[in-house]
Amino acid sequence: MKSEIPFFLLTKPHQYSAKTTGAVSRAPALDRGIDHLARLIKTTYVQWETARKEGFFQKLDARVKVLFLLFFIIIVSMKRSLLPEVTIGVFVFALAALSRLNLIAFYKRVMFFGFVFGFLIALPSSLNVITGGDVVIPIVHLPKPYHFWVYHIPETIGITRQGIEVVAMLTLRVINSLSLSLLVIYTTPFPEIIKALKSLKVPDPFLMIVTLAYKYIFVFARTIEDVYLAKKSKTIEVNAAETRNWIAGRMAFLLRKTRVRCEDVFNAMLARGFSGNVSLYPYRKTTKKDLFIGSFLFFIGFLFLLF
Amino acid sequence: MEDIIKVERVSYSYYNKIPALVDVSLSVKEGDRFAVIGANGSGKSTLLHILSGLKPPSSGKMFFRDHEVSEKSLKDKGFLRFFREGVGYIFQDSDVQLFCPTVLDELLFGPMQLGIEEKEALERAFAVMKMLNIEGLEDRPSYMLSGGEKKRVAIGSVLTMNPQVLLLDEPTNGLDPKTESFLTELIFELNGAGKTIFISTHDLTLVDEFQPTVAVLSEEHRIEKIGAAEEIIKDEDLLLKVNLIHEHMHYHGQKIHTHRHSHYVYHKH
Repeated sequence: MKSEIPFFLLTKPHQYSAKTTGAVSRAPALDRGIDHLARLIKTTYVQWETARKEGFFQKLDARVKVLFLLFFIIIVSMKRSLLPEVTIGVFVFALAALSRLNLIAFYKRVMFFGFVFGFLIALPSSLNVITGGDVVIPIVHLPKPYHFWVYHIPETIGITRQGIEVVAMLTLRVINSLSLSLLVIYTTPFPEIIKALKSLKVPDPFLMIVTLAYKYIFVFARTIEDVYLAKKSKTIEVNAAETRNWIAGRMAFLLRKTRVRCEDVFNAMLARGFSGNVSLYPYRKTTKKDLFIGSFLFFIGFLFLLF
Repeated sequence: MEDIIKVERVSYSYYNKIPALVDVSLSVKEGDRFAVIGANGSGKSTLLHILSGLKPPSSGKMFFRDHEVSEKSLKDKGFLRFFREGVGYIFQDSDVQLFCPTVLDELLFGPMQLGIEEKEALERAFAVMKMLNIEGLEDRPSYMLSGGEKKRVAIGSVLTMNPQVLLLDEPTNGLDPKTESFLTELIFELNGAGKTIFISTHDLTLVDEFQPTVAVLSEEHRIEKIGAAEEIIKDEDLLLKVNLIHEHMHYHGQKIHTHRHSHYVYHKH
């Protein structure tokens, strides 16, 4: 074998020195995005630690929490003015604080998703092209208004007062829904959420999909991170176009890997006697304390509904 | 020989919660064979990630040829080139390491990153393919390769960069005996050619064959001992403590009998 070692491997590379050049090596935004996304997924789903804390919500029966979540999400989407939405936000904040969650980390996550999926998506509706009303911040002045099919483009395009209200309303709804969901997720061990859904007669196929998806997301995040590290270990300089190509290739790889993993997992389930029914061991009994706190939360919910 | 790699009091924890390495210090001389052994979850792969500059330690320092490797130093293009040319990392899972459309692209990726001329890069790629017995696979996509072929391509993709240090994470895991023995021989040859070899493994057979300097990681993620392979393999108390061998109970006729057990240490297989 010795003779087969290529000559270049027997030579010492000394092409580059450790001298700093001052030129900064930056990973393209897409590259950094992949890494951050994988980290975000992993840290969001690592909730067993907060779920074990001795807080207000942690002690509550998971079924009560699931019903509370459904009820309050309905309330959040029914409210039509800003004040009740803000009040609900303050109420959830108080519950998160009572549950001894790390409020900065909690709201950092809520605000990030709230900004992307609430504010940014709703932002165009602040313009008078979409939401009519009194223009408070004019942006563009056109020589004359235009009419095209069912569309009307006014002479002055700008942000309206009504538009701002719509954006604020949608953003608050997203923030409130997210903070309610994260509050329940962070304070309830995942198997208990599944058991609660099962006892609330949620169909088995749905539970199976949720459970597998939850488990798979770790595998997925880990694979993304590993692939990213493998590339990083050989990368010195890349451009955005190369990164886009690489990401497209990796998506195909993940899809293939997912399909194979899916078959393996299902076969493993079949091998252990799975026949389509999700069987879980019995759920603990609801205590008087759970009922009392549950009734209190629902009473507060009805107050929000009324006002 | 000078230290080519050195880590000083390095600790790492995942999500600032789960410790993976605690106060680890070690140094590797140029041209050495070095192995870090430990049970699953003891932090071997994390240590390799740190040594390859992929993860910054939570605390402590890492040096390559006496130059500190940190997030800041790796941001400098000149230093990054110097470091990546010097240290090659072969991942445990070849699947994640093969990210190019074909085997040839895979082998060319590293040299092209280093700015090596296309002609020379191609020469390197074909020479490595010949050495690794993967000639004829150049146009094959990585998902059409067998496990052994994937491992060879993963190694080849790093060798074409001609690094001085090769970090190998569990190199023989999941390989058939023929590929395993090919790989062991290859590692020997590369070490003979002057490469510094750093392996993470829990395979005591590999450690005995390879006779490296060994660092033992405990399940508390600390360095338990550093010594010669022979000395470490003979230290049953140490191996038992770090869960690399175990107490084994079985029957001899009608008599129940307990002894320490490792397939390698006791049965040499």
